[in-house]
Amino acid sequence: MKRAAALAGGPAGAILLAFVLAAIAMLVAGVSPADGFSALFLGSLGGRNQIAETLVQTTALLFPALGVALAFRAGLFNIGAEGQLMIGGLAAGAVGAQLDAPGAVAAVAILAAGFAGGAAWGALAGWLRARFSASEIISTLMLNFIALSLASYLVSGPLKASEASGAQTAPLPAASWLPALIPGTRLSIAFLIALATAGVLAWLLARTVFGYELRACGAAPEAARRSGIDMARMTLLALGLSGGIAGLGGATIVEGVLHRFNTQLSPGYGYTAIAVALVGDLHPLWICLAAFGFGILESGGLAMQALADVPKDAIHVIEGLIVLVLAARRYVATRAQTVPL
Amino acid sequence: MSGGAALALTLGALTLIKATPIAYAALGGVVSERSGIINIGLEGMMIAGAFTAVVFSAMSGSPLAGLAAGIAAGALLGLVLGVAATTFKVDQIVAGTGINLVAAGGAAYGLTLIFNQPGASPQVNALGSSFWILVAAAGACSIVLHVALYRTAWGLRLRACGENPRAVQDAGLLPLRLRLQAVILSGALAGLGGAFLSIGEVNLYSDGMTAGRGFIALAAVIFGRWTPLGAAGAALFFGFFEALQYVLQGRASWLPSDAMQALPYVAALFALAGLVGRVRAPAADGIPY
Repeated sequence: MKRAAALAGGPAGAILLAFVLAAIAMLVAGVSPADGFSALFLGSLGGRNQIAETLVQTTALLFPALGVALAFRAGLFNIGAEGQLMIGGLAAGAVGAQLDAPGAVAAVAILAAGFAGGAAWGALAGWLRARFSASEIISTLMLNFIALSLASYLVSGPLKASEASGAQTAPLPAASWLPALIPGTRLSIAFLIALATAGVLAWLLARTVFGYELRACGAAPEAARRSGIDMARMTLLALGLSGGIAGLGGATIVEGVLHRFNTQLSPGYGYTAIAVALVGDLHPLWICLAAFGFGILESGGLAMQALADVPKDAIHVIEGLIVLVLAARRYVATRAQTVPL
Repeated sequence: MSGGAALALTLGALTLIKATPIAYAALGGVVSERSGIINIGLEGMMIAGAFTAVVFSAMSGSPLAGLAAGIAAGALLGLVLGVAATTFKVDQIVAGTGINLVAAGGAAYGLTLIFNQPGASPQVNALGSSFWILVAAAGACSIVLHVALYRTAWGLRLRACGENPRAVQDAGLLPLRLRLQAVILSGALAGLGGAFLSIGEVNLYSDGMTAGRGFIALAAVIFGRWTPLGAAGAALFFGFFEALQYVLQGRASWLPSDAMQALPYVAALFALAGLVGRVRAPAADGIPY
């Protein structure tokens, strides 16, 4: 009951606000909100293909949003999901193009590579914070740009597919692709993996000692330290795991949608994911709903642009305003003031 | 002039140019954080400044009007963050992130809406060679701010707000008003830095042109130990690596261009990591009052 009231005051209110803001954005663009919204919803939920595409976007947002939420719950502001997603996809693409193994084994190995890549990228920021007190806010953002440069270098050089003219890795063998969930669309079982990840994360946070310690670091860092929790280790683990989940998302895009890696992997999923995590109240199961809502915006936004002439970027303004409004609820638990920023 | 001297001159001039937008934003960061408000929204304020400057220069034909509008746009977002942080006592990091998202989305939306041209604006009247005045002004600003922070009553009060706002209130002053002033000034400076990027260095706005400079500026604040002169020096350091990337292009073919592009960001990481245990943020930095 209490949670429902909190949702009505926060996320639900924010979603209502989003609709009002979207209507204003449409009016500014000279389009009647009726036309704009009908284009938005027809384009995202109007048929089998549209729904499949909305779920593809939902999946792509869900992984990094879960990662972001995990870090926030530990009191760490990971804004590097974009880079972690990119490195995860890169690792998946590199391994997938080289690996010579039976389909199912390869499929799992590629996902593992994506997780490992993202985890390494996240843990790097964790190590910089634990060892050198470097603010994770700045380091994760810097690592986003470094990830893009690294990926761009590798796909135009060492990892470039020999036959391809563009900057991308060789395609993954079809046997290692993630099976389609709705045949004939881009939706793969990545969607189910994302939901399962959310379930595991919810269990981890609520029902395990690790989850308890992690939340303690975010909610009361001083008390956590005094009760003997190794803060350096938790920082490393939280950012590593957070990055790993985002990296897993990158791998599912490679394995389920693109079937190879290139730097167009993400149109900014890692940044939108911050809004998704906040709207989802930093709770894995609510985040699934939030990701679906943002998935509708992402896939319907294109239709809105094509059919009703409302620029797709209006969606991103709305996302930012939602974050601003939700900031008032002080989502991020007391941040440890031990790091200079 | 020998080739080596010419190259050094180019590198020096480019360093000054590339350091300027970072320096303005970093000065904004210093003022804000000294008053106790962490300004993660510097990046968004730079975007707003860069985009608004181009719009107003296109509409009026005057780059000076563009410059003024860019500063005003940054200040406006500063006001938004300031009100959020003082009146509503929100989490400053989350609010700043929201500002960054709004500004990036808003500029992209505006490009389509105003210029009907996604991705980049058309070319507009820019400051031309008079942008050197802004480069020099960045140096002057850092000296003026340094003096203001350390030699005036206003500066003392502002710094006290960042250390112990309660004491400021007990002295009969209004810490929240001082913080609001600081963060508006912070936004104006970041907006100026953004306008320098769009109508100073070049003559258009393109999506992603700020490229994380607002965050590099935050690193410069820390690297410069929360002092205006220190932050300006740190901006020169980061500007040097950005300049180096242009000078090396075509001269060092063994170094991939992607590696050069990553240089300023890698430099920022090393700068942050190299300061272990040697810096101290204002005591009340980021804590709502």
